[in-house]
Amino acid sequence: MVLLSAPRCLRSRLTDRFWRVQEVLKYARHFRGRKNRCYKLAVRSVRRAFVKSTKARREKKRFLRALWITRIEAASLEHGLKYPAFITNLLKSQVELNRKMIADLAIYEPKTFKSLAALAQRRRQEGFLAALGDGKEPDGIFSRIVHHY
Amino acid sequence: MASYTKAAQQWATFARAWYLLDAKMQPPGKIAAATVIRLEGRHKPIYHALSDCGDHVVIINTRHIAFSGNKWEQKVYSSHTGYPGGFKQVTATQLHLKDPTAIVKLTIYRMLPKNLQRRTMMQRLHLFPEDVIPEDIEKNLLQEIPQPRAVPKRLDEYTPEEIAAFPKVWTPPKDFRRK
Repeated sequence: MVLLSAPRCLRSRLTDRFWRVQEVLKYARHFRGRKNRCYKLAVRSVRRAFVKSTKARREKKRFLRALWITRIEAASLEHGLKYPAFITNLLKSQVELNRKMIADLAIYEPKTFKSLAALAQRRRQEGFLAALGDGKEPDGIFSRIVHHY
Repeated sequence: MASYTKAAQQWATFARAWYLLDAKMQPPGKIAAATVIRLEGRHKPIYHALSDCGDHVVIINTRHIAFSGNKWEQKVYSSHTGYPGGFKQVTATQLHLKDPTAIVKLTIYRMLPKNLQRRTMMQRLHLFPEDVIPEDIEKNLLQEIPQPRAVPKRLDEYTPEEIAAFPKVWTPPKDFRRK
Protein backbone atom coordinates (compact mmCIF):
# COMPACT_ATOMS: atom_id res chain seq x y z
CA MET A 1 0.00 0.00 0.00
CA VAL A 2 1.46 3.39 -0.98
CA LEU A 3 1.25 6.24 1.49
CA LEU A 4 -0.16 9.26 -0.43
CA SER A 5 0.44 11.89 2.28
CA ALA A 6 3.96 13.07 2.96
CA PRO A 7 5.69 10.63 5.13
CA ARG A 8 5.74 11.87 8.60
CA CYS A 9 9.30 11.43 9.73
CA LEU A 10 9.19 10.42 13.29
CA ARG A 11 12.22 12.28 14.48
CA SER A 12 13.46 11.32 17.87
CA ARG A 13 14.29 14.46 19.78
CA LEU A 14 16.53 14.78 22.78
CA THR A 15 14.39 15.12 25.89
CA ASP A 16 16.93 14.91 28.71
CA ARG A 17 19.39 17.52 27.51
CA PHE A 18 18.90 19.43 30.80
CA TRP A 19 20.10 16.53 32.91
CA ARG A 20 23.02 15.75 30.60
CA VAL A 21 24.19 19.36 30.96
CA GLN A 22 23.64 19.34 34.70
CA GLU A 23 25.82 16.24 35.02
CA VAL A 24 28.76 18.36 33.91
CA LEU A 25 27.78 21.66 35.51
CA LYS A 26 27.38 20.13 38.96
CA TYR A 27 31.14 19.64 39.07
CA ALA A 28 31.77 23.24 37.98
CA ARG A 29 29.57 25.10 40.44
CA HIS A 30 32.46 26.26 42.63
CA PHE A 31 34.55 27.59 39.74
CA ARG A 32 35.25 31.25 39.07
CA GLY A 33 33.77 33.16 36.15
CA ARG A 34 31.47 32.04 33.38
CA LYS A 35 32.82 28.52 33.43
CA ASN A 36 30.56 27.79 36.40
CA ARG A 37 27.44 28.54 34.30
CA CYS A 38 28.11 28.12 30.58
CA TYR A 39 28.25 24.53 29.36
CA LYS A 40 30.78 25.03 26.56
CA LEU A 41 33.30 26.61 28.91
CA ALA A 42 32.43 24.30 31.79
CA VAL A 43 33.06 21.12 29.81
CA ARG A 44 36.65 22.13 29.18
CA SER A 45 37.28 23.24 32.76
CA VAL A 46 35.69 20.19 34.30
CA ARG A 47 37.76 17.84 32.16
CA ARG A 48 40.96 19.66 33.14
CA ALA A 49 39.90 19.59 36.77
CA PHE A 50 39.43 15.82 36.65
CA VAL A 51 42.79 15.31 34.94
CA LYS A 52 44.52 17.45 37.54
CA SER A 53 42.77 15.60 40.34
CA THR A 54 43.92 12.26 38.95
CA LYS A 55 47.53 13.38 38.67
CA ALA A 56 47.44 15.02 42.10
CA ARG A 57 46.59 11.76 43.85
CA ARG A 58 50.23 10.70 43.43
CA GLU A 59 51.56 14.03 44.64
CA LYS A 60 49.22 14.03 47.65
CA LYS A 61 51.14 11.06 49.04
CA ARG A 62 54.41 12.98 48.71
CA PHE A 63 52.95 16.14 50.21
CA LEU A 64 51.44 14.37 53.19
CA ARG A 65 54.66 12.49 53.93
CA ALA A 66 56.60 15.75 53.88
CA LEU A 67 54.03 17.29 56.23
CA TRP A 68 54.33 14.36 58.66
CA ILE A 69 58.10 14.66 58.59
CA THR A 70 57.91 18.41 59.36
CA ARG A 71 55.59 17.74 62.28
CA ILE A 72 57.74 14.92 63.67
CA GLU A 73 60.82 17.11 63.35
CA ALA A 74 59.11 19.91 65.31
CA ALA A 75 57.96 17.55 68.04
CA SER A 76 61.31 15.75 68.37
CA LEU A 77 63.19 19.07 68.55
CA GLU A 78 60.96 19.96 71.49
CA HIS A 79 62.45 16.92 73.18
CA GLY A 80 66.03 17.71 72.15
CA LEU A 81 66.42 15.20 69.31
CA LYS A 82 66.84 15.86 65.62
CA TYR A 83 64.58 14.09 63.14
CA PRO A 84 67.19 11.76 61.52
CA ALA A 85 68.49 10.64 64.91
CA PHE A 86 64.93 10.05 66.15
CA ILE A 87 63.81 7.98 63.17
CA THR A 88 66.95 5.89 62.80
CA ASN A 89 67.08 5.07 66.48
CA LEU A 90 63.40 4.14 66.56
CA LEU A 91 63.97 1.79 63.64
CA LYS A 92 66.99 0.29 65.35
CA SER A 93 64.82 -0.33 68.44
CA GLN A 94 62.39 -2.25 66.19
CA VAL A 95 59.59 0.32 66.63
CA GLU A 96 58.09 0.13 63.15
CA LEU A 97 55.63 3.00 63.36
CA ASN A 98 55.15 4.89 60.13
CA ARG A 99 55.43 8.66 59.94
CA LYS A 100 51.68 9.16 59.85
CA MET A 101 51.17 7.42 63.18
CA ILE A 102 54.15 9.13 64.81
CA ALA A 103 52.87 12.54 63.67
CA ASP A 104 49.39 11.78 65.02
CA LEU A 105 50.90 10.60 68.31
CA ALA A 106 52.94 13.79 68.51
CA ILE A 107 49.76 15.86 68.25
CA TYR A 108 47.25 13.85 70.27
CA GLU A 109 49.39 11.72 72.61
CA PRO A 110 52.28 13.96 73.73
CA LYS A 111 53.32 11.75 76.63
CA THR A 112 53.58 8.72 74.37
CA PHE A 113 55.70 10.76 71.98
CA LYS A 114 57.92 11.85 74.85
CA SER A 115 58.53 8.24 75.78
CA LEU A 116 59.33 7.40 72.14
CA ALA A 117 61.84 10.25 72.08
CA ALA A 118 63.39 8.98 75.32
CA LEU A 119 63.63 5.50 73.82
CA ALA A 120 65.36 6.85 70.71
CA GLN A 121 67.74 8.89 72.84
CA ARG A 122 68.63 5.87 74.99
CA ARG A 123 69.21 3.69 71.92
CA ARG A 124 71.40 6.46 70.49
CA GLN A 125 73.56 6.54 73.61
CA GLU A 126 73.83 2.74 73.53
CA GLY A 127 74.96 2.98 69.92
CA PHE A 128 77.68 5.46 70.87
CA LEU A 129 78.78 3.24 73.76
CA ALA A 130 78.92 0.20 71.49
CA ALA A 131 81.06 2.12 69.02
CA LEU A 132 83.35 3.93 71.44
CA GLY A 133 83.03 2.16 74.80
CA ASP A 134 84.38 -1.01 76.39
CA GLY A 135 82.07 -3.59 74.85
CA LYS A 136 80.22 -4.18 78.13
CA GLU A 137 76.47 -4.60 77.77
CA PRO A 138 74.59 -1.87 79.71
CA ASP A 139 71.78 -2.75 82.15
CA GLY A 140 68.29 -2.62 80.67
CA ILE A 141 69.64 -2.80 77.15
CA PHE A 142 67.51 -1.58 74.24
CA SER A 143 69.81 -2.32 71.34
CA ARG A 144 69.50 -6.11 71.41
CA ILE A 145 67.54 -7.22 68.34
CA VAL A 146 64.55 -9.44 69.21
CA HIS A 147 63.60 -12.12 66.68
CA HIS A 148 59.96 -13.14 66.66
CA TYR A 149 60.34 -16.33 64.67
CA MET B 1 44.29 18.41 79.61
CA ALA B 2 41.42 16.16 80.65
CA SER B 3 39.64 18.93 82.55
CA TYR B 4 39.57 21.59 79.79
CA THR B 5 36.70 21.96 77.35
CA LYS B 6 37.47 21.20 73.72
CA ALA B 7 37.10 24.87 72.78
CA ALA B 8 39.51 26.00 75.49
CA GLN B 9 42.06 23.37 74.49
CA GLN B 10 41.86 24.40 70.82
CA TRP B 11 42.24 28.07 71.76
CA ALA B 12 45.34 27.29 73.80
CA THR B 13 46.83 25.07 71.08
CA PHE B 14 46.48 27.63 68.30
CA ALA B 15 47.30 30.71 70.36
CA ARG B 16 50.06 32.94 69.03
CA ALA B 17 53.15 33.20 71.26
CA TRP B 18 55.77 35.95 71.50
CA TYR B 19 59.44 34.96 71.51
CA LEU B 20 62.53 37.06 72.28
CA LEU B 21 65.91 36.66 70.61
CA ASP B 22 69.08 38.53 71.54
CA ALA B 23 71.18 39.17 68.43
CA LYS B 24 74.25 40.46 70.27
CA MET B 25 77.46 39.04 68.69
CA GLN B 26 75.40 36.62 66.58
CA PRO B 27 75.71 36.02 62.83
CA PRO B 28 72.57 37.38 61.11
CA GLY B 29 72.15 34.22 59.01
CA LYS B 30 71.82 31.96 62.05
CA ILE B 31 69.51 34.49 63.74
CA ALA B 32 67.35 34.44 60.62
CA ALA B 33 67.31 30.63 60.49
CA ALA B 34 66.06 30.44 64.08
CA THR B 35 63.40 33.13 63.62
CA VAL B 36 62.09 31.86 60.28
CA ILE B 37 61.23 28.53 61.92
CA ARG B 38 59.21 30.31 64.60
CA LEU B 39 57.55 32.75 62.17
CA GLU B 40 56.35 29.91 59.94
CA GLY B 41 55.20 27.78 62.87
CA ARG B 42 57.44 24.84 62.00
CA HIS B 43 58.39 24.46 65.66
CA LYS B 44 54.87 23.19 66.40
CA PRO B 45 53.68 19.61 65.79
CA ILE B 46 50.36 21.09 64.56
CA TYR B 47 52.10 22.90 61.68
CA HIS B 48 50.31 23.33 58.36
CA ALA B 49 51.10 25.92 55.71
CA LEU B 50 47.46 27.03 55.56
CA SER B 51 46.76 27.14 59.29
CA ASP B 52 48.48 30.49 59.96
CA CYS B 53 50.18 29.04 63.03
CA GLY B 54 53.21 31.34 63.09
CA ASP B 55 54.32 33.19 66.19
CA HIS B 56 55.70 36.67 66.89
CA VAL B 57 59.48 37.09 67.25
CA VAL B 58 61.11 40.14 68.83
CA ILE B 59 64.82 40.56 68.01
CA ILE B 60 66.85 42.99 70.13
CA ASN B 61 70.41 44.32 69.76
CA THR B 62 70.35 44.11 65.96
CA ARG B 63 72.94 46.87 65.95
CA HIS B 64 75.42 44.45 67.53
CA ILE B 65 75.23 41.58 65.05
CA ALA B 66 78.53 40.03 64.00
CA PHE B 67 79.31 38.91 60.48
CA SER B 68 82.10 36.36 60.17
CA GLY B 69 85.00 36.84 57.76
CA ASN B 70 85.28 40.07 55.79
CA LYS B 71 81.59 40.33 55.05
CA TRP B 72 81.27 43.79 56.57
CA GLU B 73 83.43 45.09 53.69
CA GLN B 74 82.71 42.50 51.02
CA LYS B 75 78.97 41.76 51.27
CA VAL B 76 77.00 43.95 48.88
CA TYR B 77 73.29 44.76 49.10
CA SER B 78 71.91 45.81 45.70
CA SER B 79 68.68 47.55 44.81
CA HIS B 80 67.21 49.53 41.91
CA THR B 81 65.03 52.60 42.27
CA GLY B 82 63.23 51.85 38.99
CA TYR B 83 64.55 54.98 37.31
CA PRO B 84 67.35 54.79 34.68
CA GLY B 85 70.76 54.86 36.28
CA GLY B 86 69.19 53.98 39.62
CA PHE B 87 71.15 50.82 40.39
CA LYS B 88 72.46 51.20 43.93
CA GLN B 89 75.04 48.96 45.54
CA VAL B 90 75.85 49.38 49.20
CA THR B 91 78.27 47.45 51.39
CA ALA B 92 77.00 45.82 54.58
CA THR B 93 78.78 48.43 56.71
CA GLN B 94 77.15 51.34 54.92
CA LEU B 95 73.70 49.76 55.09
CA HIS B 96 74.15 48.95 58.77
CA LEU B 97 75.14 52.54 59.56
CA LYS B 98 72.17 53.86 57.63
CA ASP B 99 69.64 51.49 59.23
CA PRO B 100 70.77 49.08 62.00
CA THR B 101 67.79 46.72 61.54
CA ALA B 102 67.98 46.47 57.73
CA ILE B 103 70.48 43.61 57.51
CA VAL B 104 68.52 41.30 59.80
CA LYS B 105 65.24 42.31 58.15
CA LEU B 106 66.52 41.57 54.64
CA THR B 107 68.09 38.28 55.71
CA ILE B 108 64.83 37.07 57.26
CA TYR B 109 62.73 38.34 54.34
CA ARG B 110 64.88 36.40 51.88
CA MET B 111 64.84 33.22 54.00
CA LEU B 112 61.05 33.07 54.35
CA PRO B 113 59.13 31.00 51.76
CA LYS B 114 58.33 33.11 48.72
CA ASN B 115 54.56 33.06 49.01
CA LEU B 116 51.76 35.44 49.92
CA GLN B 117 52.18 34.71 53.61
CA ARG B 118 55.66 36.16 53.66
CA ARG B 119 54.38 39.70 54.21
CA THR B 120 52.13 38.58 57.05
CA MET B 121 55.04 36.82 58.69
CA MET B 122 57.21 39.92 58.32
CA GLN B 123 54.51 41.89 60.12
CA ARG B 124 54.87 39.48 63.03
CA LEU B 125 58.60 40.19 63.22
CA HIS B 126 59.71 43.04 65.50
CA LEU B 127 63.26 44.37 65.28
CA PHE B 128 64.95 46.71 67.72
CA PRO B 129 68.51 48.04 67.35
CA GLU B 130 69.19 48.19 71.11
CA ASP B 131 67.61 46.30 73.99
CA VAL B 132 65.00 49.01 74.56
CA ILE B 133 61.57 47.49 73.86
CA PRO B 134 58.19 49.22 74.08
CA GLU B 135 56.24 48.23 77.19
CA ASP B 136 53.31 46.62 75.43
CA ILE B 137 55.60 44.27 73.50
CA GLU B 138 57.61 43.50 76.62
CA LYS B 139 54.44 42.43 78.42
CA ASN B 140 53.62 39.92 75.68
CA LEU B 141 56.93 38.09 75.68
CA LEU B 142 56.71 34.44 76.63
CA GLN B 143 60.05 32.76 76.12
CA GLU B 144 63.58 33.49 74.99
CA ILE B 145 65.01 31.57 72.04
CA PRO B 146 68.56 30.34 72.86
CA GLN B 147 71.30 32.13 70.95
CA PRO B 148 72.56 30.13 67.96
CA ARG B 149 76.23 31.01 68.47
CA ALA B 150 78.11 30.63 71.77
CA VAL B 151 79.69 34.07 72.33
CA PRO B 152 83.42 33.66 73.09
CA LYS B 153 84.96 35.66 75.94
CA ARG B 154 87.72 38.14 75.25
CA LEU B 155 91.01 37.75 77.09
CA ASP B 156 90.33 40.79 79.29
CA GLU B 157 86.95 39.34 80.31
CA TYR B 158 88.61 36.38 82.04
CA THR B 159 89.38 36.82 85.75
CA PRO B 160 93.08 36.43 86.80
CA GLU B 161 92.13 33.31 88.83
CA GLU B 162 90.71 31.65 85.68
CA ILE B 163 93.83 32.57 83.70
CA ALA B 164 96.05 31.13 86.43
CA ALA B 165 93.95 27.96 86.65
CA PHE B 166 94.12 27.36 82.88
CA PRO B 167 96.50 24.46 82.08
CA LYS B 168 99.76 25.58 80.47
CA VAL B 169 101.82 23.58 77.97
CA TRP B 170 105.11 25.05 79.24
CA THR B 171 106.13 27.96 81.46
CA PRO B 172 108.90 30.17 80.08
CA PRO B 173 112.03 30.49 82.29
CA LYS B 174 112.61 33.82 84.02
CA ASP B 175 115.38 34.98 81.63
CA PHE B 176 113.33 34.12 78.50
CA ARG B 177 113.48 36.77 75.83
CA ARG B 178 111.49 36.69 72.57
CA LYS B 179 113.50 37.67 69.51
